[in-house]
Amino acid sequence: MTDRFSPATILHADLDAFYASVEQLLDPRLRGKPIAVGGGVVLAASYEARAFGVRSGMPGRRARQLCPDLVFVGGHFSEYQRLGDAAIGILSDFTPSIERISIDEAFADVAACTHLFGSPAEIARTVRARVRAELGLPMSIGVARTKHLAKIASQVAKPDGLVVVDPDTELEFLHALPVALMWGVGPATEARLAKIGVTTIGQLAESSPKSVERLLGHAVGTKLTALAWNRDPRQIQMRRRAHSAGAQSALGRRPAIERVFKPTLHHLADRIGARLRAKSLAGRTITVRVRFADLRSVTRSLTLSAPIAATRALAEIAEDLVRGVLADHRNEKTISLLAIAVSNLEAHAMVQLELPLGLGDEGRRPGTKKGVARSRADRAIDAIRKRFGGEAVDYGSAVGGGRSVPDEFRRLVEREL
Amino acid sequence: MELVVRKNDLLRELQLFQGIVERKNTIPILANVLMEAMGDQLSFLATDLEVGLRSKCAASIAKSGALTLPAKKFYEIVKSLPETDIRIAEDKGGVKVAADRFDSRMQTLPREDFPTLPESGGASSATLPRSAIKEMVEKTQFAITGEDTRYFLNGALFVLRPEAMSLVATDGHRLALVTVTRDGKPDDAEEVKAILPKKTLGELARLLQEGDEDIRYERGENHLFFEVGGRLLISRMIDGQFPAYERVIPKGNDKHIEFERDRLTNAVKRVALLSNERSRAVKFQIDNGKVEVTSSSPDLGEAKETLPVDYGGASMQICFNAQYVLDFLAAVSTDIVSIELKDEVSQAMMKPVGAEGYDYTYVIMPMRV
Repeated sequence: MTDRFSPATILHADLDAFYASVEQLLDPRLRGKPIAVGGGVVLAASYEARAFGVRSGMPGRRARQLCPDLVFVGGHFSEYQRLGDAAIGILSDFTPSIERISIDEAFADVAACTHLFGSPAEIARTVRARVRAELGLPMSIGVARTKHLAKIASQVAKPDGLVVVDPDTELEFLHALPVALMWGVGPATEARLAKIGVTTIGQLAESSPKSVERLLGHAVGTKLTALAWNRDPRQIQMRRRAHSAGAQSALGRRPAIERVFKPTLHHLADRIGARLRAKSLAGRTITVRVRFADLRSVTRSLTLSAPIAATRALAEIAEDLVRGVLADHRNEKTISLLAIAVSNLEAHAMVQLELPLGLGDEGRRPGTKKGVARSRADRAIDAIRKRFGGEAVDYGSAVGGGRSVPDEFRRLVEREL
Repeated sequence: MELVVRKNDLLRELQLFQGIVERKNTIPILANVLMEAMGDQLSFLATDLEVGLRSKCAASIAKSGALTLPAKKFYEIVKSLPETDIRIAEDKGGVKVAADRFDSRMQTLPREDFPTLPESGGASSATLPRSAIKEMVEKTQFAITGEDTRYFLNGALFVLRPEAMSLVATDGHRLALVTVTRDGKPDDAEEVKAILPKKTLGELARLLQEGDEDIRYERGENHLFFEVGGRLLISRMIDGQFPAYERVIPKGNDKHIEFERDRLTNAVKRVALLSNERSRAVKFQIDNGKVEVTSSSPDLGEAKETLPVDYGGASMQICFNAQYVLDFLAAVSTDIVSIELKDEVSQAMMKPVGAEGYDYTYVIMPMRV
């Protein structure tokens, strides 16, 4: 599959500035103007706004400073879903071998359909033209021998372009690019690599694997070195079974205190719990991730004897875990991100009830009186939300946690695709 | 130290230490057995710091002294030797273990590293009938939780009163309580309670397998001592509050059904073969004159067995983890067992019918969809 002589048949298709492009499509007056979806936080920015330095994830105030003419628009979330599905639908007219990785991007392997539709480059051109003609949206596509390189190629192709990487010259292409384009290299890793003088993928490839591992840890180091040489054995995964459910919330820079993390964790737990319950799943392992101001992350997890999906129970366990993390890092006063993941998932059919022994941990056990009451409350809330919408009802403890990102947006991003 | 000991004497004692020594090997000395030779006796001591055991056997001692050897390896060697005299002698290079034409030298760890264990001879003591204790351990041991977070449930609660003694264990899903009457002395303490670690119960059961001596029981400040036939089991007590178990024993379960134990056991075993492999749920559909035990699992199929019973009350259904039911059925020996129920979400109570000399109550929580 990934031997040196295999042809470049993997496509990475990515809709450009997706949310902003949809808004400009829906309202012609916005076309050609710098716009941002969101308010408190920029969820997406049009290319016109990006020219001013506006980026997604940026506080709204900062964006306005950079671009005084910036137009903020509320999100048309159901339209994003519909158009995202339609774009991927066009891709799947060519091959069933598709791995959708978010609402607006997907991998496709066209190796088996070139005899029907032409070369991978021709297929990519047709897909782009059809998305433009049928949906009115710009899409960039990268074509390469591996998933990693295809994804990099699509980033290089943006905006509204196509880059096909020839296997004969792929390393020349790859090595000239900045490391930040690599999958898995975020600002923290980029800064660390810069310290040892590595800014391009070529420099990373030529660095001694030992020193990279020392810098980034064995697992990450080995992986990045392999990717820098375009060694990426990952294949298209057509149907991913959920092994875990997670959600995260970027906080900017907030003090590491209960008043900040409790409502956030509750809100995350609620989103995860609702998703698990909708699929009749429950999980035994709860993991939290706390990222501090310097982008260093600490994770902590707990495995229970019985799987849970109840919002309150998930939230309480997450709180305890975060308290544990903070107690071990007393000099960290600022947190920039909180995340919860639930893994070890099981189908949630029978519940073993528990003897009413009056022990302190009953809220975390699905089979206690309290646990049963909590699942009842969750079921009631799930039903109300299904009928009247996500904001119709909330848990007392989650009210008042200021949310910079609307929940419809969260659901869109976290939805199982 | 230098001595000669008979293989079978040594093997019998070493066998008892195999469950005691620490398996995880975090502290090397805890994998060793301490042996002391003096007079005409060789005495042994091993511990994992939670449970310890002292015992001894006869030996002809040429030179008294003390040393430690890895309990497991030493046992394996002794076990493999022919039935003959074994010669043990310490020299500069280690410990010589020899018999017949076999010769070995084992590595030892300094005797000084071996932890000191508390001595018995403290406050309250009592004599406990051997067969009753054996019975009590067998009927509760399996219900002890394996969950570390509820450390106070990692053992069984022993309650000693002048007129009776009880042992109770629970894992939060089921509870086993056995009570035996006794004739205590009038000056005995009112009520003495202690939580015995799971491992202690297991080792106690092992000591009770052979012989007929009663048990001398003593409760020290933090430790319990059980002396059986010249061997002394020393156990740390679990420091914690055992929950108020009396509260969960149901009163007023109005539906009473009796089963032949063998027939119920076989039915549950067979039906459980097609239960969900994780939950092991079996359903009891109770109607006039019969109980239907059923199971179903989307991947496997479904099963049903009907048991005729003498029952004329209201119909109901209730689900249990088959393993919990089978654990009880295996622990009792009467021909007939009873189950008392209230509804499909409340505690069920199982009892042996016509049991003599002890009262056994097994409370089991149902499963629900």
